Amino acid sequence: MTNPILEVRGLVKEYPGVRALAGVDFAVRPGEVHCLVGPNGAGTSTLIKCVSGAVEPTEGQILMDGQPVATGDPSRALENGVATIYQERDLVEDLTVAQSIFLGHELRRWGLLDRGRMRRETVEILRRLNHEAISPRMHVRDLRPAGQQVVSIARALSRHVRLLIMDEPSAILDDSEIETMFGVVRRLTAEGVGVIYISHRLDEIRRLGDRVTVLTDGRTVASGLPATTPADQLVEHMVGRKVGQLYPERLRGGGKVVLEVRGVRRLPDVKHASFEVRAGEVLGIGGLVGAGRSELLRAIYGVDGRDAGEVLVDGRPLPPGRPDRSIAAGLGLAPEDRKSQALLLDWNLIKNVTLADVGRFQRGLIRTRAERAAAEEQLRALHTVPDDGSRMARELSGGNQQKVVLARWLLHQCRVLLLDEPTRGVDVATKAQLYRLIADLAARGLGVVMVSSELDELCGFCTRILVMREGELVAEVDGAEATELELLRHAMPDKQEMLASTAVSAIAEGPNAGQEET
Amino acid sequence: MSTSPTEQVSGVSGRVDGNGRPPGVGRLALPSRVKLQEYALVGVVLALVVIGAILKPDTFPTADNLRAILTQASVVGVLAIGMTFVIATAGIDLSVGSVVAAAGVAGGLVVDSGAVAFVAAALGFGLGLGLVNGAAIAYGKVVPFVATLAMLAIARGLALLMSDKSPISLLGSDGVRWFGTGEIVGVPVSIVIFAGIAIGGWILLNRARYGRHVVAVGGNREAARIAGVPVRRVVFSVYCLSGLLAGLAAVLLSGRLASASPVAGELLELDAIGAVVIGGTSLAGGRATIVGTFLGVMVFAIMFNLLTQLNLATEWQQIVKGAIILGAVLIQRPERI
Repeated sequence: MTNPILEVRGLVKEYPGVRALAGVDFAVRPGEVHCLVGPNGAGTSTLIKCVSGAVEPTEGQILMDGQPVATGDPSRALENGVATIYQERDLVEDLTVAQSIFLGHELRRWGLLDRGRMRRETVEILRRLNHEAISPRMHVRDLRPAGQQVVSIARALSRHVRLLIMDEPSAILDDSEIETMFGVVRRLTAEGVGVIYISHRLDEIRRLGDRVTVLTDGRTVASGLPATTPADQLVEHMVGRKVGQLYPERLRGGGKVVLEVRGVRRLPDVKHASFEVRAGEVLGIGGLVGAGRSELLRAIYGVDGRDAGEVLVDGRPLPPGRPDRSIAAGLGLAPEDRKSQALLLDWNLIKNVTLADVGRFQRGLIRTRAERAAAEEQLRALHTVPDDGSRMARELSGGNQQKVVLARWLLHQCRVLLLDEPTRGVDVATKAQLYRLIADLAARGLGVVMVSSELDELCGFCTRILVMREGELVAEVDGAEATELELLRHAMPDKQEMLASTAVSAIAEGPNAGQEET
Repeated sequence: MSTSPTEQVSGVSGRVDGNGRPPGVGRLALPSRVKLQEYALVGVVLALVVIGAILKPDTFPTADNLRAILTQASVVGVLAIGMTFVIATAGIDLSVGSVVAAAGVAGGLVVDSGAVAFVAAALGFGLGLGLVNGAAIAYGKVVPFVATLAMLAIARGLALLMSDKSPISLLGSDGVRWFGTGEIVGVPVSIVIFAGIAIGGWILLNRARYGRHVVAVGGNREAARIAGVPVRRVVFSVYCLSGLLAGLAAVLLSGRLASASPVAGELLELDAIGAVVIGGTSLAGGRATIVGTFLGVMVFAIMFNLLTQLNLATEWQQIVKGAIILGAVLIQRPERI
């Protein structure tokens, strides 16, 4: 067995009043992908900040190649070859690929930028990552998310990297793009780089990981498990007890039609979409990122206008481009990006919940006591933590922020919920809770439309699943019979059919499997 | 949230939320930023009063002087209340000073028909110019800074044009002068009006759906839109409100000066914006406080009353004013990057 690149021993990090880390031990070997999993708040982020030097641990040791290293010093960590890639895309979109990769450590000759050499080295690094198709002169904004992530990784490689930390890198990618990123990671591990991979998606551990460490409440509850450990065992480690089914019982649907979408078009993203949603069902919409799913929801709801087509709620048509009228008719939208599209982060929960319907509390003036009571009732009903309405939305975890958005629409007693990636960035335990909530709402007679990039959750409990490809709905699959492979096959453009099967069988040998068009 | 790329590689992230932030740590136990700033401003006001009482014990802490300060403050105060709504939407209204002049002149042109005509014309003209601002910004998608900067020039031009470049005397209208010199149960009319507008503004901002919508639009336009807030109508309306209140400020100012001058109100926009900003309303929108604005107005008014009593030249007062505003904005820098 090779010696670990990184070893973490008894790491403790205390903030005033809180122990974010309460004893973490784990080790990363060269050439392995070591997955870190844990519920939100388990301390994974604090841990990687300690390793990358951004945060000084209170106790414990960090060893690289068996030697203790100075902690709390990001530049030293960088010299030691530790690089971190965060979940948020953090490239400057106006820069070219080469400029992005060398940003902050530009190569110079005689005091001037050596642009030629930076471009040559960029080509070299991208070739190493098997992405020659990305030109150093391209602008970052013209790359798709996966391509941008390749650039982020290339930037890490432009410095000497031995340990790469990836914090939820897949959160913004769809399945084929994830495969691209996996290809790059495999390429790096083949060169002996150690990778710490943080993800809430347990399927990725099987597909990419070598070993798993589970963190709960700042403690390693299981360290260095094989990646083949079954998902439910991992979840049990996380929550510290047996969990029931991840997915709730599949609803049969079959109520009356509450939402009708007839020939909706919004170019260039949505070419044609017609479907119905019945009360008491969860209708899933799958497809690749960029297939037009979010745009379809936005056009239905009226955030964006429509070029053609009709939307009817309870048989009555909605005017295009009028979210306020859609809301009045009983639609609610939980958008893709909670933070930028749904919440006012510096507002308290009460105001966030009542935003769509604050008029109902106004008798001359807003009756704040009634407002608080109503908002907190909804928050409690959804098991939001915390359910104290005076807390700021910013302080909540992603899953609980999502509940605040749901609470808004429940307060309004909406008829049809449009959910766009409702569980993105949410840990597994909270995901299970959200699934149950969504199913409960449908069981109470709401029509639910759920756009998701996670095939697993679409197959898990949706009544029916529509697949969108290049702006059109191309297939409808009965939820009970759907398989991930089938959905993916519908979702992929024909020429990528091969890739689909590779992605699903999760073997994907060689980095070519995930080759992305750029 | 953007993290600078250099930081990203080295692992120093600007992220404040997410798993790394331990629960229970942060601003939870503290009063909100707005509240803190309000407490601080109350402290500043008290300190100024104490300093004034020490330096000028005969002339500063007197009822007459208090009356003078508040009367002085009322014009800027009325403007600042409107400006609070504009800034809450992440907008700005640079035109208010010029609109005050134009609205005053518009009233002056019809003052022969009586004080009611004067007031109606001033309010109407202010509202009309605000409406143009609002339409250009909300529906024409012109950046607020540019639209209202243009209006700053247009309104001043209109004022000069309509008055033929000379002040219109209002000495003949007791009704108009009542706004400057009259009293309601012993309190000067302009102070009563300022107080009324401030209280009305507080209620509108904090206890009405409209105010909620205004702040939501400034805090997160997209989220507000998805939650059904009529974003464009809200944006349009705040500039109308600001214009209307500029018309009201014109009435107060003309009443006090007994004349409607086309060069009145110069740099009033600076005073109003300054008061709003030092009050704690965020220039980035999403956070607004009428109490803060009121206190901001009072800080300026007391300070310049005192500086005048200490015989500091107005040039210096101007410099002090600018420095205070700059300082306030520096303190108010966003806590997260």
